[in-house]
Amino acid sequence: MDSSDRTKVAILGAGRGGRALLDLLHQIPSIEIVGIADRDPAAPGLQRAQELRVPVTTDVTTLIGTQGISLIMDVTGDPEMERYLRAHQPPDTDILSGSASRLLWELVQHESKLEAELLQAEKLAGIGSFAAGIAHDINNPLQLIMGLAENLAEERNLTAVHEQARDIIEAVKRTSAICRDLTRYSRRASPHEDMSVSLNGKLDEALKIARYASSFHDIEMVKRYQPGAAVKGNPDELLHVFVNLITNAVHAMEQVGGTLTLETHVLDGQVGIRISDTGSGIAPDKIPEIFEPFFTTKAPGKGTGLGLYNVKTIVNKMHGVIAVDSQIDTGTTFTLTFPKVESAEQGCLP
Amino acid sequence: MSEYKSGFFVGGEACNGRVLVVDDEPDIRKVVKMTLQKAGYDVLEAENGEKAIETINSGENRLMLDVMICDIRMPKVNGIEAIAYFRNNYPHVPLIVLTGFPDTDMATSFLRQGVVDYLVKPVEGEKLRSAVARAMEQRELARL
Repeated sequence: MDSSDRTKVAILGAGRGGRALLDLLHQIPSIEIVGIADRDPAAPGLQRAQELRVPVTTDVTTLIGTQGISLIMDVTGDPEMERYLRAHQPPDTDILSGSASRLLWELVQHESKLEAELLQAEKLAGIGSFAAGIAHDINNPLQLIMGLAENLAEERNLTAVHEQARDIIEAVKRTSAICRDLTRYSRRASPHEDMSVSLNGKLDEALKIARYASSFHDIEMVKRYQPGAAVKGNPDELLHVFVNLITNAVHAMEQVGGTLTLETHVLDGQVGIRISDTGSGIAPDKIPEIFEPFFTTKAPGKGTGLGLYNVKTIVNKMHGVIAVDSQIDTGTTFTLTFPKVESAEQGCLP
Repeated sequence: MSEYKSGFFVGGEACNGRVLVVDDEPDIRKVVKMTLQKAGYDVLEAENGEKAIETINSGENRLMLDVMICDIRMPKVNGIEAIAYFRNNYPHVPLIVLTGFPDTDMATSFLRQGVVDYLVKPVEGEKLRSAVARAMEQRELARL
């Protein structure tokens, strides 16, 4: 889009309201945020603006005097600011303040709550498909425990008793790890602030979960991880993105097998993730629809049609982009690109 | 995990029949083997349907294999495919399904195909041995 066509917006106030507004408006291509101002240099919205490369200032007068500005959004909640703006309103500029801006702030909050609900609903609906995988992974160690315990009741050889008791303990640990992984995955994404998340660790965690949702038999795994690849975001939401994409990839190869490739790379201030399969591919006429809500190619009851929609919502919220490249009977590659953060494997959630 | 050496079961002289256990989990094969050896069965192992088909087609097994116990969810040739192969090519070998996932529809369909029993893990040793004993009886009838 030509920058001259975009609506130029200035945000006054960089508290929680200003920050949320910034996040929202930043995702809309037809809007250009010319700057954000706050008297407090430590306001959370200012730091966010720097990450998004939005100009930051403490000087309101200069900001509202910016050439070509068409909307000033005042979320300071300060009656004095309202009066000042009314007195200094530039020509051809609208002002949103007072109760109108409070209403907008409430709507933004409401939307983000709905988004979280939708994400959780989709996640829980998907867990239904884990049943076969979970049953397999729990009942196998239980069979081992049963057989060994029955034997121990009659076993006289002390060395054998020790060895088998140890195997029972290992089997119990394996079983409890399944419950731990799944409860961690199924819980609501924690509302904590964004943090630096190691991509390689998150991809491996997602692989463990995805194994319950789909059969990895006959699938060859290739991992090409660049150490230190990290992004800023909510770790629970990022896990959900990866589980979704990996599960889709494996489903696409279900009948015939194939290769699942997971790649991460860091390049020129950007971090990329590629998830590729060699499966059935997506028909060219379907590609524009895959990120739409309620679009699914799965059988009724098998997919919610919200998977990729939620994936895209999360990726965009993290200021990333997602692209798809697919050919029928050759395979599909999803590429995610995010702004790089100063990583470090530490500071990343488990 | 190494092979269990049980003081309870010594040697394997008394052979009550030969059983093939097909499961991708080595733990399961080992524990099923241990359970059945106590009842004097000779136990062979295969890690998937492909290996099971190889096993029955090799050497004396073509004639000597009495019963097959088969998991469903396995790589390469899965349980459903392996069972179909055995039903077609070795209809006299009775089959027992031992799976981690209880699925009523699948159980019904297997039993209709003539599978002797559909057991869900974890199964008690006694129940497993009695299923094998029943399968052995069927095998005997087929020999007559």
